[in-house]
Order: sequence, then structure tokens, then C-alpha cells
Amino acid sequence: MSTVTEQAAEGRPAIDEPGPAAPRYQGSGILRQISVLSGRSLRVLRDPAMVLPGVLEPILMLTVFSQVFKSVSQTSAFPPGVSYIDFLLPAFLVTSAVSAGLKSGVALTTEMNNGIIARFRSMPIHTGSVLVGRSIADTALAGVNMLALLVAGALVFGFDPAGGFLGAAGCLAIAMALSWSLGWVFMAMSAWLRRPEALQPIGGILNLVLLFASNAFVPVEGLPGWLRTFASVNPMSQAITAARDLSMGEVDAGTLLAPLGICAVIVAITAPLAIRSFRRSA
Amino acid sequence: MKDGRTKDKHVDAVIEVAGLSKTFGSVAALDDVSLSVQKGSVLGLLGHNGAGKTTLVNILSTLLRPSRGRARVAGFDVVGDGVEVRRRIGLTGQYAAVDETLSGRDNLILIARLLGAGRAEAAARADELLEIFQLSDAARRRAKTYSGGMRRRLDLAASLVGRPDVLFLDEPTTGLDPVARRGLWQVVERLVKDGATVLLTTQYLDEADYLADSITVLAKGRIVASGTAEELKGRAGSRNVSVTLRTDEAVLRTTEVLRRSGLDPAPDDEDGLVLIVPVHDSTEIATVVRATDEAGADIAGLAYAEPTLDDVYMALNHSSAVR
Repeated sequence: MSTVTEQAAEGRPAIDEPGPAAPRYQGSGILRQISVLSGRSLRVLRDPAMVLPGVLEPILMLTVFSQVFKSVSQTSAFPPGVSYIDFLLPAFLVTSAVSAGLKSGVALTTEMNNGIIARFRSMPIHTGSVLVGRSIADTALAGVNMLALLVAGALVFGFDPAGGFLGAAGCLAIAMALSWSLGWVFMAMSAWLRRPEALQPIGGILNLVLLFASNAFVPVEGLPGWLRTFASVNPMSQAITAARDLSMGEVDAGTLLAPLGICAVIVAITAPLAIRSFRRSA
Repeated sequence: MKDGRTKDKHVDAVIEVAGLSKTFGSVAALDDVSLSVQKGSVLGLLGHNGAGKTTLVNILSTLLRPSRGRARVAGFDVVGDGVEVRRRIGLTGQYAAVDETLSGRDNLILIARLLGAGRAEAAARADELLEIFQLSDAARRRAKTYSGGMRRRLDLAASLVGRPDVLFLDEPTTGLDPVARRGLWQVVERLVKDGATVLLTTQYLDEADYLADSITVLAKGRIVASGTAEELKGRAGSRNVSVTLRTDEAVLRTTEVLRRSGLDPAPDDEDGLVLIVPVHDSTEIATVVRATDEAGADIAGLAYAEPTLDDVYMALNHSSAVR
């Protein structure tokens, strides 16, 4: 390493002009902050090594699930005339929202601990922008993974829903809305827990409960009584039912609005909580 | 700047802290701390882990609220005028606070854009800083691939994007190898030459000695001493030269010659072949070497140690209270 002081003598620019009368920049508005910060998180899209695992993992899982549980389509509780992949894929899309949301929370705790968040908090920007920026970027990234899952489902596994393209787009919308709202739930938890290793097990348990105590992989009618009751009220089941109806072509305004409404309520509750505890944590 | 900025006799004090305390539960992280830092000077805040250094920096950079007391930075109250304070400070914490997925250049552009710079302006500022911090060659590489020293330099550059009035450096060299440490010292030295006001925290007396105009020693959240590096070293007492000899007989002869030369050697408790000689200046170091030669003793080892933070603590009789 050559010395910096030597270079000062060579007439390089001064690092700091003495005694600036006013800050050099006049600050940025909240929309600029959000777009710059979400753009930051979306930069990973340029890097195949960062994107590929997120795309491939759900496709791999879909391969496993579609083969292992295929036999349920032969059981009496299964809707007749429906192929298992048409039953599974909408649900699979919706359930991938849980791990996408958990990823948001884990990424936030990681950044809270590596100092970049402290840098943002010591700058003249709204603390909420940091979280909103992350939530927008992570939802978009989840959308990319989900789109890849839909395309792979159609090309490789013969996903051909009665609802057609619009039905599939509706599934995607529901899944992205759920991933957006669960992202806020997990960010609220991370702002509160602060440590990734504290968040991971809670996220894991939540994932397990939401996922398997639902109608994602098997019809609820085939479950034991107590589990059936829970699976019916599980918001995940609501979103999955809506996604399935959409892909089966049974669309009315209520089908789409109910799960989107649930997501909006979840965000309305958890976003202020997340921002508030984020502001307080150092 | 129209509102709120003080225009009184303390206008030259860029950091003013009065009676500041911070408690976490029942633990006092800071206890009645008062200090001030003049414009264009460097205050070294010296202390071990848990002494309260980071707590103070976090309060001054508005990340934490004080429990009691007041603090003003660049003329603004850290509690009441947080945004105005944040517009005028740069913070470099114990971790290199950079986005590892972005290139060095994109990290700096990100900060400039958030501060309100236009695209072209942000890119120009980033390139300017990359050159100063000798990161131009690595500008487009992702920060993940940077060495520890490069990361710290990028972090420091990020703190300077907005040309802050006040710079907080919280243990900027912790975890760096000696070469990278020196490199960072030179960067900070140059910043100071260019007129920055700096509050630097460190665990190393030599670092504070090298960079700071004055030093405040913190232990368990309280200020236990303040002064220049020389004053503190003076309080830590003399420095020691330890001479390792080959035979007991050489130890005896050398001791005798040293006594005649006016020094006061004592055998080391652990190793009878080692003589500890307290010295007060470099002439006395020469005397030690000459005396050994005069005694005809063969030197097996020779060491000279600057006083450390521990020596200062010890001298302040706080050694038992600080760990």
C-alpha cells in the first residue's frame, strides 16, 4: 500500500474542504429513497449466481412433491377430473411465499448486524424507507422465482389449468401479495429479535404450521378432525383455495379480493410495528 | 442552518456533551460524561470493550437516545434536531458498513443518491472518493471480494460522501493487520489535515497517540482521565527496556554498571536472566545498551515497550475497576 499523504502532495483532490458552511447535498425525498433502496436490493438480479438458487429450489421441490404425493389424486376426497399438478402448483406457488417472506426478515437481521443499517440510520433519510425498499424488492424477486416456477410447471410437468393464462396470473398475484405481507411479518419479527439465529427457528416453525396444516398438498377433507378445523381457518388455505379456484377458471371478484384483503390487513398491522421497532433498535 | 444553530461563545466546539448518561436496564453504559471537541481537532476516546465508547458514538450520531444529559453536534441537539445532526455527520462503525453485493463504486453512488445527489453528480463524487482512497482499480468489483483494509477504506469513503462537518470513527482499525492499520491511519491523518473534526474511539494507546490531539479515557462509562498522549504516557510512568542476558554472572555485572550510570534495573520475576530497566527518554535507552557493552555481557534479547492502555489504567488505579 503506497501512502496517501504522498499523493496529497501531487495535487490530488482534497478529501474534505475545511468548514463547509452547509451540507453538500440537500437531502432526498421519500420516493427517491424508496426507489434507490429497492433498486439496491434488486441488483442481485444481475448476478446469475445469486438468482439461480432461488429459482431452482422451488422447481426442485415441485419435482419431489409432484412425484411423492401424486397418489392422493387417486383418493376419494380428491376432486375428480383434475390432474395432480393442476391441484398442486397453485398451492405450491402460494406456499413459496412463506420462505420468500422469511428471506426478507433474515436479510434484514443480517444487515442490522453488519452495520449497513446503522449507516442508513445515521443518514438524513426516513427509517421506514429502508424497510419499504426491501419489501418492494423482495416481493419483486419472489415474483421472478414464482414466474419461473409457473413456466417450469407448464413446460415440464404439464401444468395446464382450466383458468388459462389469466388464472395463472391471478395465482401469481395472490402469491406475491402473500409474500409481500409475510415479508412485513418477518421484518417486524427481525426488528424485534435482531438476530438471524433467533428468527430462523421461529420462521421454520411458522413455515411448517402454515404449510402442512393447510390444504396445500392434500384436500382438508382427508385430515383428522382437529387438524381439519385448523387447516380450514389457516389463511394459507384461504389463499390456496382462491389460487386454485382462479386456475380452475372459477373466477369472481370475491375470489381474488378475499386473500388480497387478508394480506392488506396483515401489512396494515405489521408494517407500522416493523418500522417502529426498527427505529428503536440500534 | 437558519434555525436552531447556536451562535454563542461555544461556536467553535463542534461536539459538546454535558452530563450525558445512558442506562440499559440497571446497567449504566455511560455515567455523567461531559466533553467538548473543537472544530478541526481529533479527540481520541480510549477504553476497553464495554467502557461505553460505542454507546457515546451512537448517542452522538442519533442512533440512541441518552437517558440523561445533553449533547450537541455541529450546533444541533442530538435529540431535538436529529435530522439536522444526521445531515452533518459521517459514521464509520466497528463493522465495515457496506453492501457486499454491490461494487465499491455502486456503494458510494447509493449513499450520494440517498443524500440527494443527481445521478451524474453521485457518480462523479464516487469516482473522486475512490481515487482518494486508492480503490479506483477495484471500483467495479463487488465489495465482497475486498480485503479487510479495502473494506474499511470504502466504509470511510462512504462516511465522507456528504462532506460531513463531524466524523465519528468507532474502532476503525479493529481486526486489521498492521499494514492495513497504518494505511488507514494515513488516510485519517490526511482527513484531519484537510480540516475534519473527528471523534475516534480505540482500544490502542498508540493509535490514539498517532491520530488524536487529545485523549479521553473511558472506563465503565465514566471519564477517568483526559489529556494529551504524552501526559497520559507520563502518568503511566516510565517505559521499560528489558535486556535478556546469557549468564547469571553477566546479569550481576550489567546490574552494577547500570546502577553506576544512574539507572535502576531489577531482575524479572519470571526469568532470572532478564533485567527490567525503567527509562525516561531515548538517551537512557542508549545508556542501557552501552552499559551492557561495558560489562562485557552478550545480549541475547532486547525489548522496549511503549505503555499500553492497560498501563494507563493501572497507573490511574482503575485496573481492577475496568475489566
